[in-house]
Amino acid sequence: MSSTHEHTEPGRLPSILTIASAVLGAAGLVIWLGASMSRGETYYFWGIWLIVAALAVYLWRYRLLNGGEALRELLRSSARKMAVPVMGVVTAIVLGGILMLATGYNPIEAYGALFFGGLVRNWHISILNAAPLIFTALSVAFAFKAGLFNIGAEGQYYMGAMAAAWLSIHFTLPGIISLPLIFIFAGLFGAMWTIIPALLKVRTGAHEVITTMMLAHTARYLSPVFIRANGGDPATSTHPYVTWEILPNNFLPRFQQFLPQANYRVHTGILIAIVVALLIHYILYYTSWGFEIRAVGENKDAARAQGISVGKNIFRALLIAGFLAGLAGFNQVNGLDHRLFENLQAGYGWNGISVALLAGGNPIGVVFTGLLWGVLDAGGQFMARTTQTPSAIVEIVKGTILFLVVARYIYTAIGNWRRKRQRHREADAANAVKEGA
Amino acid sequence: MKQTLSILLLLVVASALVFAGGQGEESGAMEQGGDQMVAAMATDVGGLGDKSFNDGAYQGLQMGEDLGFEARVVESNQQTDYIPNLTGLAEDGADIVFAVGFLMEQAVKEAAQMNPDTFFGGIDIGGDPEIPNFQGILYREEQSGFLAGVLAGHMTAQYSDASPKLNADPIVGVVLGMFIPPVERYEVGFIQGVKYANPDVQVLSVTAGDFTDQARGREAAVAMIEQGADIIFHAAGLTGLGAIQAARENGVLAIGVDVDQNNVAPDTVITSAVKKIPESVYVVLESVANGTFEGGTHTYGLAEDATGIAPYHSFDDVIPQEVKDAVDAAREAVLSGEIQIAQTRADIQDLLD
Amino acid sequence: MVDYDFIVNLLSAMIRNATPIALAAIGAVVCERSGVVNIAMEGIMTVGAFVAAIVAGATGNPWIGLLAAIFFGGLFSLIHAFATVSLHLDHVVSGAVLNVLALGITSYLMIMIVGHPGTTNPVPVGLGDYRWAIPVLSSIPVLGPMFFNQTPIVYFSFILIGVFTWFLSKTKLGLHVRASGEHPLALETIGVSVYKMRYFGVLVSGLVGGMAGAYLSIESNVSFTEGMTGGRGFIAMAAMISGGWHPIGAFIAALFFGLADALQVRFQVFEIARVPEEFFIILPYVLTVVAVAGLVRRSRPPKADGVDFMIERSED
Repeated sequence: MSSTHEHTEPGRLPSILTIASAVLGAAGLVIWLGASMSRGETYYFWGIWLIVAALAVYLWRYRLLNGGEALRELLRSSARKMAVPVMGVVTAIVLGGILMLATGYNPIEAYGALFFGGLVRNWHISILNAAPLIFTALSVAFAFKAGLFNIGAEGQYYMGAMAAAWLSIHFTLPGIISLPLIFIFAGLFGAMWTIIPALLKVRTGAHEVITTMMLAHTARYLSPVFIRANGGDPATSTHPYVTWEILPNNFLPRFQQFLPQANYRVHTGILIAIVVALLIHYILYYTSWGFEIRAVGENKDAARAQGISVGKNIFRALLIAGFLAGLAGFNQVNGLDHRLFENLQAGYGWNGISVALLAGGNPIGVVFTGLLWGVLDAGGQFMARTTQTPSAIVEIVKGTILFLVVARYIYTAIGNWRRKRQRHREADAANAVKEGA
Repeated sequence: MKQTLSILLLLVVASALVFAGGQGEESGAMEQGGDQMVAAMATDVGGLGDKSFNDGAYQGLQMGEDLGFEARVVESNQQTDYIPNLTGLAEDGADIVFAVGFLMEQAVKEAAQMNPDTFFGGIDIGGDPEIPNFQGILYREEQSGFLAGVLAGHMTAQYSDASPKLNADPIVGVVLGMFIPPVERYEVGFIQGVKYANPDVQVLSVTAGDFTDQARGREAAVAMIEQGADIIFHAAGLTGLGAIQAARENGVLAIGVDVDQNNVAPDTVITSAVKKIPESVYVVLESVANGTFEGGTHTYGLAEDATGIAPYHSFDDVIPQEVKDAVDAAREAVLSGEIQIAQTRADIQDLLD
Repeated sequence: MVDYDFIVNLLSAMIRNATPIALAAIGAVVCERSGVVNIAMEGIMTVGAFVAAIVAGATGNPWIGLLAAIFFGGLFSLIHAFATVSLHLDHVVSGAVLNVLALGITSYLMIMIVGHPGTTNPVPVGLGDYRWAIPVLSSIPVLGPMFFNQTPIVYFSFILIGVFTWFLSKTKLGLHVRASGEHPLALETIGVSVYKMRYFGVLVSGLVGGMAGAYLSIESNVSFTEGMTGGRGFIAMAAMISGGWHPIGAFIAALFFGLADALQVRFQVFEIARVPEEFFIILPYVLTVVAVAGLVRRSRPPKADGVDFMIERSED
């Protein structure tokens, strides 16, 4: 973001613009994420316009500092970078539409419902779906950066959820003290579930795919035992298959507390997820820890030659990955459900793998791919309900998106072909000019 | 940073575009219903095809078509879907919305409070006196389990000559899916029934840990058959299909669950411990059509003919009259209150030891 | 209670539990030895199980169902081959995609073909009805009932383990497959196409994975159920890794898991301890971690496993 050369006399305007852009953007983000469309409130669009305004201010600042040509170049390169995801998503949607047509459903109606449901009507559900996915995807993505495959994020998620539930049932401290504590302990319990895989990986070389996955199954079956031990209201028909409701002081704040018309279920977990994603981005790219972890992930031998301890970094990376997945449990228990259920089949840990892959392991990308997955899930339900199209189609579209967005080679090949044609054309034109002269 | 920025821009633009298309559709989605009465349901994450409560409730909705209802169903993928599905169905003009499965308890109560003009029903969910537009429907699965247990207890011991598929060992087995409330009630009822028929019969039990993995159900049943179990009762959803298959292959008998499962293996399934979800859903639909809907908890059991065991089909000739009489007598005893059946493992500790 | 019959029954159950895992694992071994990481076994098995049940149900012949499962398993795996080898997509990504796609496609087709989700109708005749006790051999104590009184796909799995062990170590094609996973460039310089070898490796994993799926739906049971693979494709990966990327090693690892699973069910039957059942259910998973920690030597994947291979061919 630093300016390379002073263009006009900027004075204090750029710093004012930076602040304005940040404030507008943060406010817009909060309002956008907290918005609910279900009763016709339109916070959603206020949020979007604020974000657009923040972007405009930022671009203005950019132009002030770097000049119009640099701005145009920025926009051009952004457009180029967006081309692949946009093409991937659009192509996947078209392919899904063809499948619907072939099997007797109306794709326009179905997709209309899908996006109306996911982005507008049930936007708050998209947010609720996205938050845990972002945490587990961050976990998978972080491990990827160290060259590790944390396939068992599901288990760490369960451990975090159990820790969060137990502490939240028992902590009577004010929320401002207990929530951070629970947050940390949920993460630590998640990390605890990666200690054994990390130790084994470093000591004996046991593959983390085996160990984390086996422990994931273990955690899944331990959760009913935990739930039975932590009761639940005998008056409900769910006793004892759901824990006690956690104490109200341990509820994560909800958007409704500062946006009166926001949907009452949307909690601030999504904001925590975004902050954590930024933090992970910072750790990975701006600290020596992150540098070492990435170095190990890219090439162990080269890292060792540089004097970086491979074992220490693998250990560190797996523990942080477990910590992140544990936070997903905190998010669900303290934010959404306020209790722990048996027979959770959401599979946030498994789905986190797809979300992380789609983002190419980029922590900030994970936020967006998590939101996209959340939108597709919530919209798919809306589509199934209103148009009676099987929501399985959404799974097919998801798989196709993943495939098309990540298969960069397709686009590289197309790009090479176009560039070649371009070169030919330029050569032809040059020849023509020469002949004319 | 640049990349982030660009993706953000993309998302914002995409959202704005979609909104432009979305506004018009809102009215379309809201105005369904009209004069046509609509009965809707949201499944839990198990979804349709579970051959259990989700399928049963849907069958009930379809039966309601002769009352003039249109049946609608939506399958939930995750827990966050419960409330939007329930409220969404209500807002789309359904007259009554069913939530199926005990996991939806909190969700359906919240949805019912948010939509006071729509009726809600909950299968396997207890009612709440403070929510008059919500009717909770519970079943006495332990009664079905009990009668199945009485049958099994007699057949495996005194009457083991009746069928070549029975052996001399007084042992029966139970395969459980995951340990959830209806499953526990089935199991506990079954054990009491067996012990009521013959205290010397041993009941083996294996929890498969899954509701869809047939191979696990199969191995669980095989392990008990090896120990001499000759009647396998399952309360394991689709996992239980594997248990029935194991019984068929090893030449022993099986008892189905929830619905009459004789058609799965007619030469093996001697009877099924049923709960008649479709019929009770139909009763609720009738009350909606007549305007006599009431809230609270409705418990369906033998007295309402909602629990019990399925017909014996081809085993009608195999099962001795004495056993049939004993089962009928047990049914009468339960109906008259002479026999009290416990619902949780904690209440039958003495039988388990 | 622990007598001759118990041992025989336990070991037979071990074989039954291990068969789908072992099949998927040896498929994955060949795939990874050729240099392509394959985490898509779960999806391939799902497709195989589904196709087997549908085709066997429609034709009434489980053998046709088995062939169809093998065929479609192979076909499905070719997506993985195309994506990783021709399109140079990251192998893990492609595998994850296939797992998602398999779930989506089967549950969509359930609605299209069967008319409802959940489970298909039972097939009229399953492969489980073709149990065949090999004369003489099956009367050997313990080993006889365990290995030689089994159902068709179990025998196939034994044969395939032998075949692939021989194939990888003794044949020229096997050597090329291994070279493609260890030193692809060297292979290319002697004029053998790395692409072809890798396509071949992935295809094998698809064919064998389809068979593993068919075992679950039409041999062990008689119908397909959504979610019936129950993570076995991933456990197969674990078996492949702890088996040191070798067919026999993978088979032994699968047997170990199968034994642990067979044991935990019997522990539940005998109620050896009054603890929640879940503690028994987790036993195979915990034991696997213990075994990996204590017993398995450090195993090394093929050097170029998961490493993309691209040849620049001049086209102008």
